[in-house]
Amino acid sequence: MDREAALRAVLADVSAECGPGLRALTGAAERRAYETDALTAHRILPGLVLLPADRSQVAPIVRACLRHGVPYVARGAGTGLSGGALPSESGLVISLARLNRILEVDPDRRTAIVEPGTTNLSISAAAGEYDLYYAPDPSSQVVCTIGGNVAENSGGAHCLKYGFTSHHVLAVEVVLPDGSVAVLGSDDIEAPCYDAPGYDLRGVFVGAEGTCGVATRIAVRLLRRPEVVRTLVADFPDVPSACDTVSAVIAAGIVPSAIEMMDNLAIRACEDAVHAGYDRNAAASLIIELDGPAEECTELFEKVSAMCTAHGCDRLRIAADAAERAAIWAGRKAAFAAMGRLSPEFLLQDGVVPRTRLAEALTGIAGLAAGAGLRVANVFHAGDGNLHPLVLYRADAGQEPAAAALAAAIAELCVALGGSLSGEHGIGVDKACSMPEMFSPADLTAMDRLRAAFDPSGLCNPGKVFPTPALCGESRAGAYQPHPLEETGKIQRW
Amino acid sequence: MVGPSSSAPPPGGATPGSGSAADGGGTTAEAPIVSHAAPRSITPTTLKDLRDAVTAGTVLIRGTGTATTWGAPVRDPRTTVSLAGMDRVLDHRPADMTVHVQGGIRLDALQAQLALRGQWLPYDPARSEATIGGLLATGDAGPRRLAYGSLRELVIGATMVFPDGAIAKSGGHVIKNVAGYDLAKLCHGSLGTLGVVAELVLRVHPLPQTSRTVMVSGVDTAAAQRLTWALTRSATEPTAIEWCEPEQVLAVRFDGTSDGAAARAAAARALLRGSLAELDADESASFWHSHAVRIVAEPGDTVLRAATRPGIDPSLVRSLAAWAEHAGVKALLTCSPAVGGYTVRVTGGDAKAHAELVKNWRASVEAVGGFVMLRRRRPGVDAMVESWGRAPGGVDVMRRVKGNFDPENRFAPGRFAPWF
Repeated sequence: MDREAALRAVLADVSAECGPGLRALTGAAERRAYETDALTAHRILPGLVLLPADRSQVAPIVRACLRHGVPYVARGAGTGLSGGALPSESGLVISLARLNRILEVDPDRRTAIVEPGTTNLSISAAAGEYDLYYAPDPSSQVVCTIGGNVAENSGGAHCLKYGFTSHHVLAVEVVLPDGSVAVLGSDDIEAPCYDAPGYDLRGVFVGAEGTCGVATRIAVRLLRRPEVVRTLVADFPDVPSACDTVSAVIAAGIVPSAIEMMDNLAIRACEDAVHAGYDRNAAASLIIELDGPAEECTELFEKVSAMCTAHGCDRLRIAADAAERAAIWAGRKAAFAAMGRLSPEFLLQDGVVPRTRLAEALTGIAGLAAGAGLRVANVFHAGDGNLHPLVLYRADAGQEPAAAALAAAIAELCVALGGSLSGEHGIGVDKACSMPEMFSPADLTAMDRLRAAFDPSGLCNPGKVFPTPALCGESRAGAYQPHPLEETGKIQRW
Repeated sequence: MVGPSSSAPPPGGATPGSGSAADGGGTTAEAPIVSHAAPRSITPTTLKDLRDAVTAGTVLIRGTGTATTWGAPVRDPRTTVSLAGMDRVLDHRPADMTVHVQGGIRLDALQAQLALRGQWLPYDPARSEATIGGLLATGDAGPRRLAYGSLRELVIGATMVFPDGAIAKSGGHVIKNVAGYDLAKLCHGSLGTLGVVAELVLRVHPLPQTSRTVMVSGVDTAAAQRLTWALTRSATEPTAIEWCEPEQVLAVRFDGTSDGAAARAAAARALLRGSLAELDADESASFWHSHAVRIVAEPGDTVLRAATRPGIDPSLVRSLAAWAEHAGVKALLTCSPAVGGYTVRVTGGDAKAHAELVKNWRASVEAVGGFVMLRRRRPGVDAMVESWGRAPGGVDVMRRVKGNFDPENRFAPGRFAPWF
């Protein structure tokens, strides 16, 4: 049966089973909105888009796909940066956007049970009345969904202290690729356990980039809001001094909730755009935030401030109140939008290096950039070594191939320094072809064996994570194009 | 639902304490592993030798042997592969706060090495002499799991040896990393059925300056529940909350700077009611050691571990006491109320009585959505009750995972019976 006929058969089956509540987008114009996520260089038009109105409609969709051999991908807000939600050619998209209810917040057990289309920030909003919040805070948290966070094991600026999505998900109700429904990490999603017995399939599912099934309910852990939060910005006359300060803070046994760094190019772009009070002449700025019980936080914050000064910081600015702290973060998060002032086009990388090799990595990146004759701005999560180099280029000057080569070289430099291809954006289609730089054939075989235990059919978000000839035989270059919500300033890229 | 709702004598069942004398006594060895062929033991010292040791026959992986009885008994292991020869720290990077170790290193030895640099792995299972690989495979955790997570949260890279001889790794040396599938999580709780944990890279933390513990006595179940919620709702950030029955003691730990921990302990004391004592660092260390020893069994004891949603379910505490009384055994409960963990050590009585308690209390736990596994049992118990009760969701996927990695079912066969 050809794909067209298979899609018609899927639609007929699910319409009969799910009734009129299930919305189907069949027209090309409607489907086009789902041809890409925030990695806009990759675009594939799906053959059919289904928007369940009720989570009970997800299993019939998966079963119909299985029956008729149609590949499918689940999609949340489409803010992913690695092409994880990219459809297959004439494949099916299951949009979970309408499954966005917060089903329960239990302030004693400090858990919430939510549907996958719930936005990250709305969980904290709902938990706020109990002084609780959901800790992982990806920069797109205003719109990105918890289902997408689970797929990508999303991080955020504060995961240095609080960990990633995986640390905060207790159980996931999943429609498995065989069409059955199972609760991973428990048996009853309404009674999520910390330590259910057996293989940690919940842990495998979180971060599997949507290749192991479709989440329909998620039980997350909530944290008590910290008693106090203290934030500073420290400017340095050179990049190595800032890097040394990061190492010194960590080596002193202090775990700040966030340590962010911007280099001069990034600082200037930011400051010109939003006037958040950053020093345009600083070679590098650190944003360091500590939170926790009052006495402890105050004591350690003073230590950190002294360390900045001891390492040559020439301007230390301490947020006096919540408003000033918000301004500092607004400046930091504006870096991305501001980059357009420096260059109309750029590529974003997400490599990670051991913290002690930050200075080395930045020197290496500067060298690679000089060799390529391109500029690279750096804005990144210094505390955990997660770099976000932005390769600036002009397509109209024919620089795109050089920029793509530079971006790949930077990612591979991170791996060569003992790091990783991706800290938080995922592999998806974007970095699948670089996976052999980091993993051996035996590693990838073991991972595929694990994937296949969830999805023997290979229909659940195929073509992601693993390098495939179809993908890697083609050019992997892809220029960044802003997501519509980024253009309006609603979300940021990192 | 089985008898959890009142303290009335549990219904049904055989006459308590009527088992045969052969099952009783504290001198009997642990449940023996049935063996029909001459077993051999191999202690490889290299990754290559380790791989060669596991590619044929049935394989039982052994660390220091502290958890060989966890889960169901392994059928007919021809080869015991000891990790005792792979017990080194390969690379400690204090400034990166990471450590790369071989799977056979004992936790206490690792902690001692890390302490030289003012660091530790924030992980405190009762079995500090166990190997790090074994601790990952058993999914064990201690009281401070509340603040720091379990081992799966601290592993950032793993090298596994699978039954086909493949040496495969996932993760790496960096604390933030989403590249590829996480094989370490897969092995968490796998009890030696999927592969050998040959090497791990772990995220370490600075040693806290000090530790203080607030003890409250006379805390009944309802009070333990109430006080736990009061603590977790407060900004005091306890690192452990444990409750013991029948002693009815609640112990709350605070780790941090000297002033900080003292301030948090003081704030906690203001919240708590009842007879209060506060332990300083040395007293804390000694109390928590004794607390760990509490769940270490003597030969002939049965040890159960239950996992439920967070909280102490009063019905479970009541039904445990009632079923223990009914069976004529003593049940010592150690509870981690904030995370819903219960460890029960059963002493006295015969195998039949132990089996009866397991069966009945398991039904109570399962009625509230929880799970009960056997960590060890009095000889004879296995003939009367399964080591595993209700399976968690996704057991079909677990079965397929097992089939994909170990199609000949050579690694710890029978460990997850009756699930697979």
